[in-house]
Amino acid sequence: MASQIPITVRAPPAAASSAALRGKKRPGSPAVCAAPPANGSSNSGKKKKGQPTATQTTQAQITAVEAVAEVKAVGTADSAATATTESTAKPPPFKDPTFMHSGIGGAAAGKKNRTWKNLKQILALERTLPWKLNDPNYYNIDALPSLKPTKKYSDISGLPANYTDPQTKLRFTSSEEFSYIRLLPTDVVTGYLALRKATCIVP
Amino acid sequence: MASKGDPVYQIFSFHDCKTSPDPIFDLPAQCQTPVPAPVPIVIDNGSFQTRAGWAAPAAEFESPRLLFRSVAARSRGAARSETQIGNDIPNLEPLRWLLKSQFDRNVVVNFEIQELIFDYVFTHLGITSEGSVAHPIVLTEAPCNPLHCRQMMSELLFECYRVPYVSYGVDSLYSFYHNNAQRNLQPPHTGIVLSSGYHCSHILPVINGRLDAVNCKRVNVAGSQAASYLQRLLQLKYPGHLAAITLSRVEELLHEHSYTAVDYQEELEKWRSPEFYEREVHRMQLPFSGKVPGGCVSVEERHERRAQQLRRLQEINARRREEKLLQDQERLDRLMAVQELLEDGLLDQFHKSLVELNMDSAEELQSYINKLQLAVEQGRQRLLLSDGAEGKAEVSELEQPMDEGDGVALMDPDFPEDTLPEKPANVVQPVFNLAEYHQLFVGTERLRCPEILFQPSPTGEDQMGLMETLQFVLARYTPEQQEALVSNVFLTGGNMQYPGMKERVEKELLAMRPFQSHFKVTMASRPALDAWYGARDWALEHLPTEGGAVAEGWISRQDYEEKGGEYLSEHCASNVFIPIKIAKPVPARPTEPSVAPLTSNGASAAVTTVT
Repeated sequence: MASQIPITVRAPPAAASSAALRGKKRPGSPAVCAAPPANGSSNSGKKKKGQPTATQTTQAQITAVEAVAEVKAVGTADSAATATTESTAKPPPFKDPTFMHSGIGGAAAGKKNRTWKNLKQILALERTLPWKLNDPNYYNIDALPSLKPTKKYSDISGLPANYTDPQTKLRFTSSEEFSYIRLLPTDVVTGYLALRKATCIVP
Repeated sequence: MASKGDPVYQIFSFHDCKTSPDPIFDLPAQCQTPVPAPVPIVIDNGSFQTRAGWAAPAAEFESPRLLFRSVAARSRGAARSETQIGNDIPNLEPLRWLLKSQFDRNVVVNFEIQELIFDYVFTHLGITSEGSVAHPIVLTEAPCNPLHCRQMMSELLFECYRVPYVSYGVDSLYSFYHNNAQRNLQPPHTGIVLSSGYHCSHILPVINGRLDAVNCKRVNVAGSQAASYLQRLLQLKYPGHLAAITLSRVEELLHEHSYTAVDYQEELEKWRSPEFYEREVHRMQLPFSGKVPGGCVSVEERHERRAQQLRRLQEINARRREEKLLQDQERLDRLMAVQELLEDGLLDQFHKSLVELNMDSAEELQSYINKLQLAVEQGRQRLLLSDGAEGKAEVSELEQPMDEGDGVALMDPDFPEDTLPEKPANVVQPVFNLAEYHQLFVGTERLRCPEILFQPSPTGEDQMGLMETLQFVLARYTPEQQEALVSNVFLTGGNMQYPGMKERVEKELLAMRPFQSHFKVTMASRPALDAWYGARDWALEHLPTEGGAVAEGWISRQDYEEKGGEYLSEHCASNVFIPIKIAKPVPARPTEPSVAPLTSNGASAAVTTVT
């Protein structure tokens, strides 16, 4: 299928010596990968689970694609050890090899700050900045809770529901639906309520 | 009831498309030369899909070169190095638990994965330059993107990839300008953009060519919420097919089998009738799985099995106790006999039996006898108690609710009673339609899931729906401004591609606007891709010139260093920039580990101490 595309695929990029590469360690490197060697046999053996491109037609394309697909600097010592069995691991040339994200706290922050902030934390930090009253920011533009009363729909069929089962609190429209509700196992009932976020009514 | 001729069933099967890996393109000749100006790369960084390509005038660059899902499959431990991104993953489902996206809602928070995505994009576009990507980048961001995120993104682009210029814009606004240009509307444009993506939907009023960010609103209901809602609905309806109802199949259902009702209540009434249901329900044929119904274990069955096990254990224990009691009794009798020997005065025999029993004196014998008597007493008492308890336990177990039903459960109340049920209950039906067992009946779900954009309440969201929010936004303007805005209502975004969406918006707008006022609703020509095309058009019109005056809308390396990462250069399709300085967390350089802890602590203290 790839052969239909009339685009020349590059040969694997010339790799610097592995020793020099391993000197440029990037402890914070996100993708640690070793490119497969040029020979095809260990290629298929090593990369079978990683690369689905084994089904492609030409061997040359396989090696080329696999060689460049995820190629990064070898970061930790462990992966450096495993990389010795395979051949050169090369970061993409257009990157700065000593770059480290500041957001993750850096290696010096130790084991504490290894994860990225999620949206809630970022927004909490943003709230503390000196915004003026009308400035638009991410949480200001959230839509308000609805002013109209919600319409009730049946949990089973989605038709407008006029009735609620007192035992399970599910909504239904007709007596057939009611008998179906009464035969449901409890996990399905809880599932329907959870879908509507109507579980655990605190008494 | 007599049916005229054969009933027409609509039976479909899932396509389950597999993606094929992207080739690594060669760097085109005109993109290599930095003279007269380097060719910009346009990246539409969407939470569902990333689209990337060159912004060059030639025809071969008209469409994005790369289109892939913005996910990376990273496993932990030794296999960490084998990360797969985007189209390298042929089928998302086996790796569903390993998939990570750089997005949280519609904002980029995980910049490691963003770095992976950029690597993928640049590698596949054919960039091999050393030490930098020598092309300006046009990137999309969320409306009112948090400053921290923009700072991190600028840092990634400027410091890791050493890009010369960066421009940020809102994807729906790029789409807006592209379509306005196609319709030959003169700038500056005024209109209101309704954009619905994968995680959020936005209402963006644009006045005189600039986004009126103060009055923007965002509804947190869009494609992914519709997909998970549909998935849960089908899984609850067909608990036997839990594993077969995957998110990819559900997305396929949404893309190909769902529609938006123009009048929701009226459309639901149509679905009440059985004939309409029969005609319109889409039966999705699942591949045969060989799993017999009844293989699924319900909660009650599990209780029953546990109760059985308990009963068996109790029986075993009781038997053991009885045996021990008998043994003790025998031993006690023997010891008593020996003691009687002593009392009768047959001392020789007594001593002989003591030696047999391995005991030294009469006192030891007495103590043994006492102990055994106690044990026998206790054993007898326990037997009596357990007999009583067992009786009670048996009664309570019988009473345990085992409401499995009669084996016939009506799936849908509208379905006529004489047809076979699609989902037999836990009791195995002797005769049933095997093909029908493996079919999912998608009826009103086709309608309900796109509807949550307009009424989020079925999913438990208490936010306003899209049109109610539009009404709220319009109410903040003067009537003249409202007229101007409403005369160019623009729908864009992947989630707007349901059939019937435009008519629905028109109908609801008609209900909100004053009597006999005018409005015009347009849908984007390619709702999912137009953001990329718009960004490309913008980039072609506003190329950054080398040295000297930089065109409006671009952030240069110098700007980044002087004004910080959160700086944004505004342009017609960008966010509004509020100049607030935020402190940058200092990265720990590998060469100066001792200095880093101090500076990072200082920086973090400056930012804030919010718990």
